[in-house]
Amino acid sequence: MTKLTINGIERVSDAPEDTPLLWVIREELGLTGTKFGCGAAQCGACTVLIEGIASFSCITPVGSVGDSEVTTIEGLSPDGSHPLQRAWVAEQVPQCGYCQSGQIMRAAGLLAATPQPDRETIRSVMSANLCRCGTYPRIFRAVERASREV
Amino acid sequence: MALNDMTLTRREMLKGAGGLLFVVGAGGLASVADAGGETARATDALAWVRIDPEGAIRILFPATEMGQGSSTALPLILAEELDADWDDVVIEQLNRDDRRFGNPAFGNVLYTAGSSAVYGYFDALRQAGADARAVLMQRAAALWQLPVSELRTEPSAVVHDPSGRRAAYGTLANGAGPLAIGDRPAPLKDPADYRLIGSATPRRDVPGKTDGTETFAIDVRVPGMLYASVLRAPVEGETLVSMDTAEARAAAGVVEVVSLPDGVAVVAETPWAARRGRDRLSVTWTETAAARDWSDAAALEVYAAAAEDLTSESAVWRVEGDAAAAIAAADRTMSATYRSDYAYHAQMEPMAVVADVAEDGSRAEVWAGTQTQSWTQRTIAEVLGIGADAVTLHMMPMGGGFGRRTALTQEYVRDALLCSRATGRPVKAIWTREDDLKHGWFRPAAAQHLRAGLNAQGGLSGWQHRVATPSVIAYFNPLRWQQVAPQDIISMRGAESKFYAIPDFAAEHVITERMARVIPWRGIGAAYTSFAAEAFVDELAEAAGRDPFAFRARLMSENPRGRHLLERVRAMSDWDRRHPGTGRGLAFAGYGDTMAAGVAEISLDRDSGVIRVLSFWAAVDAGLLVSPGNARAQVEGGIVFGVSSALRERVTIERGQVQQENFYDYEILRADAVPDIDVYFATGTHRPTQVGEAGTPMVAAAIANAFHDLTGRRLRHMPFTPERVREALGA
Ligand code: FES
Ligand code: FES
Repeated sequence: MTKLTINGIERVSDAPEDTPLLWVIREELGLTGTKFGCGAAQCGACTVLIEGIASFSCITPVGSVGDSEVTTIEGLSPDGSHPLQRAWVAEQVPQCGYCQSGQIMRAAGLLAATPQPDRETIRSVMSANLCRCGTYPRIFRAVERASREV
Repeated sequence: MALNDMTLTRREMLKGAGGLLFVVGAGGLASVADAGGETARATDALAWVRIDPEGAIRILFPATEMGQGSSTALPLILAEELDADWDDVVIEQLNRDDRRFGNPAFGNVLYTAGSSAVYGYFDALRQAGADARAVLMQRAAALWQLPVSELRTEPSAVVHDPSGRRAAYGTLANGAGPLAIGDRPAPLKDPADYRLIGSATPRRDVPGKTDGTETFAIDVRVPGMLYASVLRAPVEGETLVSMDTAEARAAAGVVEVVSLPDGVAVVAETPWAARRGRDRLSVTWTETAAARDWSDAAALEVYAAAAEDLTSESAVWRVEGDAAAAIAAADRTMSATYRSDYAYHAQMEPMAVVADVAEDGSRAEVWAGTQTQSWTQRTIAEVLGIGADAVTLHMMPMGGGFGRRTALTQEYVRDALLCSRATGRPVKAIWTREDDLKHGWFRPAAAQHLRAGLNAQGGLSGWQHRVATPSVIAYFNPLRWQQVAPQDIISMRGAESKFYAIPDFAAEHVITERMARVIPWRGIGAAYTSFAAEAFVDELAEAAGRDPFAFRARLMSENPRGRHLLERVRAMSDWDRRHPGTGRGLAFAGYGDTMAAGVAEISLDRDSGVIRVLSFWAAVDAGLLVSPGNARAQVEGGIVFGVSSALRERVTIERGQVQQENFYDYEILRADAVPDIDVYFATGTHRPTQVGEAGTPMVAAAIANAFHDLTGRRLRHMPFTPERVREALGA
């Protein structure tokens, strides 16, 4: 049994400790906004914040999380009103949308560390996350828009 | 599930909810039913539109959503002619194979592909909306005892200006009133009066895709659900010889091991347990399948030889005049062979399906994200041997499609069904990324041989384009192949070069042996035929000593809109101002009826052989843009897809096995390599053409031509990997 703090709420998981946090979040706890894309730290669809740092939940064993605070897309704001989420809507970023929870969480990690990133920093940090629909140009603009607000 | 089928809605409606149901028949809108009355009860009907007394206007979305945005664009077209207030519109997914709502562009099969949803449904949806509006106006006329000619509509209301009367659609839909549809189709709006079509109306699905609430098939959870992970035969055609399942069964959480036609599934209480159980299977497969001989390199050699052998048999794709004679009579003859490798869709959501089969196998409920209600329903019915009535389908939004989810027979659906039947519980079957890649169905490898003549004035004299690649349709939809053979639009699109007027022209399909699983991929044939054709045009222009714009413009003597795109992209890219250390290349392609002119600007690291695309300018004529903002997003995304494919994407096959595993060895474009993209859309027409795939086909040739501009060398094998680039440089 593992105790977790997810989006400020204490949760308990029955999963073996080597189970990736991703599967616990999604299938055991039902927070399906965090996606499975590769299972190998390659695509970022599974990105969550762990103690505010964008992390690949697909390679994070649930047993390693300990007391760290985990934030998923569902916990970023109560009603989709985080500046990044509003910017994502304003720039009409998503196409299929599958990668976008991860993109937004990656961007949240970036803005937490660097509130006013330049375009090159955005490009380089966001390169951890893949978008097959090719929404990258809009992602850049949305991060810049949000950075003007936070 | 949150997604309501109209039939479910109807059931609740029969409790006496009232409202109006606009029933569709074979030829479009057939009748109107009082949703609370006998007519509706007697009709097993879905509806294009249902208007509730409270004013909600429910519009059916007949396609499926994979990111292309037609779940907003299609209802918007109907809402335009209905004169609905967009805020009143509720979009409802069509969840079954009901051909009355089929895609006219595909013989009414429920099939979302070929960038066809908006243009395919454009007329049907406008007419349905206009007819529904006419009924509402008649009801208002009857209510007020006024001639219908004195009435007009404004968003979601009928209005009589002289008396100031106004009735909301919801009010008119409730209670008694005329239900008849006019004998003739109701007149359509003047496009100048459009307020939704062509507007900046945001996509409906965007908020749910920013807060994590959008539900894809992989996200579906139903009570009592188990998870399946499938170990698949490593080579197509191999079957199980023996297996030892003891260790897998002993693993914590494992419930069952299920034999499948081409694999073994471990079904467990959690996805991770299923995966761990699968790792513990020990399975022996046959080693005799013919596919053991398949290799990508050998395939390309065979295909290239077939393309270059002018006597090898081919199916005519398009012919005008006498290409061979014109080339023979020309002052100069040019020829070149282009190759392209297998490519993988890399849709971000790996295949995942939830199936719940009744214990006796007589019914099934399925949640799947596919590009076709028709073939998914067919797969379910065939696997279980049940009728369509026994299938409840939920068409989920897809985490990308790009053609991967189009096949007649869908093994990912089949596996979930078989696992559910074997365990008597609902099962979610999830493919790993490795499964998705190793057992992918791909854009086919192709070798293309082009020949053309040039006359003394530098003009083109004859064009022959031979495409050696398998028939994609014969494999991914054999039923369809029976109807269309030997014309394979999936393998050949683009080779018709229809935007150019070339009097002596031949495009031929040398149908080669299939040496991988093949299926449509974004841009279908044009993803490689336009690469070869437009790279070759560049070679011809150079040989003729002509500017690439002028050479192409001359081929477009009858295509003023095409010439306009050339002029625009020349201006946008500031073509005549060269930047030191960069190369510029032009290509003119598009998709279907949509034309696109693109200019790529690249830089090159000569030591590593890495090409970087710095900028991409595109001028696109997609006709009327129903959703201009989304059209732009689609073209941007199509360009990114094209750059990714041109520079990196390559599936290799050895002894019948795909060599790549995951995104570390099948690399798709990341944010740091995305060019600056600038897109212009031509205006001035009243019909939409294809958008979703229009951005992709031009890209590879534009990059290859830019490489020639920079280095004087030609790249004739896509993707332009660093090794191939270094080879072209002679390094
Ligand atoms: S699923 Fe974690 S990085 Fe891809
Ligand atoms: S929006 Fe489809 S993968 Fe990013």
